[in-house]
Formats: sequence, C-alpha cells, structure tokens
Amino acid sequence: MMSASCRTDWGMALPRYGSLRDCHRLNSASSIQRVMPGSHFHESLRREFDARLKRNPRYSLRAFAEFLATDHSTLSQIFRGKRRIPVSQLRRWGKKLAMTPEEVAIYVAEQHVPDQSVASRQEQLRQWTVEAIAIATDNTHWQIVRLAGSRGFRPDSRWIAGKIGVTVDQVNVALSRLLRLRLLEIGPAGKWKSSLCVEEKEFHKRALVRVRELAAEDGIELRRLTGKSSN
Amino acid sequence: MGNPVMQFQILSTAPDQTARFYSAVFGWTVNADNPLGYREISTGSANGIQGGIWPAPQQAANFTQLFMAVDDVKGCIQKAEALGAKLIIPPTSLPDGGELAVMHDPQGMSFGVMKVR
Repeated sequence: MMSASCRTDWGMALPRYGSLRDCHRLNSASSIQRVMPGSHFHESLRREFDARLKRNPRYSLRAFAEFLATDHSTLSQIFRGKRRIPVSQLRRWGKKLAMTPEEVAIYVAEQHVPDQSVASRQEQLRQWTVEAIAIATDNTHWQIVRLAGSRGFRPDSRWIAGKIGVTVDQVNVALSRLLRLRLLEIGPAGKWKSSLCVEEKEFHKRALVRVRELAAEDGIELRRLTGKSSN
Repeated sequence: MGNPVMQFQILSTAPDQTARFYSAVFGWTVNADNPLGYREISTGSANGIQGGIWPAPQQAANFTQLFMAVDDVKGCIQKAEALGAKLIIPPTSLPDGGELAVMHDPQGMSFGVMKVR
C-alpha cells in the first residue's frame, strides 16, 4: 500500500505523495529484523541482568555476556540502546533465559509491529493520499464549487445532488473535504464561498497544491514531479 | 451556562446501514429531511443527548465525535489551539443559523464545538 502510493504518478504539474526518502524509511521500518531498544524483550534482558546482579553484587556484564554466548561489548551497546538485537539472537537468548516458546513467539511478533511513531506517520501519509486521490479523481468537488458560484444556487445538499447527479452522501463527503481543505467556506447567513471558482483543470491543480500545503503542516512532504513528466 | 456536550455524531462509511443498525437495536428514529440531508437521530428520550450520522469517505475509519456547546466558536478554537489542538474544519455556518467547527485534541482525537442559534 505504502510503496504503491509512493509510486503513484499524479500526472503533469501535480504533486506526488511523499518523497522517496519517506518511502525508504517507512518500508525499512515496517520490516524490522532487529529488536528495537526499549522493546519488551530488551527490558526482559535488562531485568534478568539486574536480578542476577542483585543476587550477586560481583556479577558482571562480561559474565552475563558469556552466559548468553555473546560478546560483552555487544551486550553493553544493547543495554545502552546503541545496538539492536537480531531476531535470530532473540530466539537463542530467550531459550537461555528459560522463556517458554510462547513467550519467545510474542517477543518475535512484537518486532513485526511497527513502532507507534512510524504507524502514526503511515496513517498520516495514507490520509493525505486519500485526500489527494479524491480531489484528483472525483469531480464532485469542482461541481460543488462551480454551483456555489452560480446564479440560483441553493445551499442544500439535496438540490446539489440532483444538479450533479450523485447521491446526497457523495455531496456531503465532498463538502466535508472542501471545508477541511479550506477550498470552500460556509459563512454567516449560510453563504457558500470559494476562491477557486475556476475551470476544472485549474481547480484540480490548485486544489492539489492546497493538499500539499496542508500535508506539509502535518510534516508530510509532498513534491512536484520533476523531469519529463513535469511542466 | 457551562459548556455541555450537546450532540454525538457518528461518522460512517455506510450511513444508511448505521442508521438501520442503531434504530433496530435502540429504537432510535432517524430523519434526514433537512437541507444538508443530515441524518438527525432522536433517541426517543429527553434524557441524555441526541445525535446524528454524517457520511465518511470509504477509506476512512468509522468513529464518533462529541460536540460541545460554546458561546464563541472562534474564541474556543484559539484557546484550544493554544493548548495543542489542531483545527480540522474551520467555523462553518449551519442552515439553522448555528455555527460549528471540528478540531483534533493534542492526542489526535476529533471533537466538535458548536454555537446553537
């Protein structure tokens, strides 16, 4: 889904959703092969070492590393959050720490759950992609803006639906999006106003620029196409 | 007067099905005979609040919003933004003369404020 959206070609002069850097970072993060510092396995490892140290104040990191059949500097880096634990190590160490196969399986599964911040960013990317695609492909938005600027306009979703030939729900979904994207205002006295009463092609172009601007406020970087397909 | 919770709003990707489900389970009545075609819910009781159903895009999640009554929508937005909220739908007049706005709280949860005419 993410890589597909990043590959999407929006056509001439239209923004592309997300940068290649974002795609690379998110795709890498979603296929984590190493245990994240701060994961529950990481904490378990630390707790086990602390428990041994409590039982025997002379117990060393070197002794714990030997027990785990690893290098003490590696273990030190792991404890300091400078190094991640390979999932293959997790299985071996889990066994040495007398974890049940079910426990180990849970810790392995945790490594495949995207980090909360990555998941949140993926969701933002998804939402902005949806907004941009809707603007680019559903001309209900432009039709509403066009009608709002026309004589005899009635601020009534049922009337608009009849004029455009779509359902009232389709009008209202598009209306919400126009309001979210600040492409339409409904002011006092119920007056619908848009600064984008322009031809359809121009509307799409400017509306997509607006999506890009608002996405940027969320820290989502949109870029115009460059090279042969841009103008 | 305070700022009471005035209304709940269900955002649904299948608003007709949502209306049918809640009507069947709770005996609510739904009336969309108004300029926005808004599915107004009457719970059939004077206790609690009334609500409505608004269509959500197909790719969106279904969720429920609460709307709080305020005297000054713009003033409330300024206060909320200063405390970390994000404005989603700017102040918008309603056909009945009221006004609403929708924000995300600092945890990303959607909520609305409304000035009833």
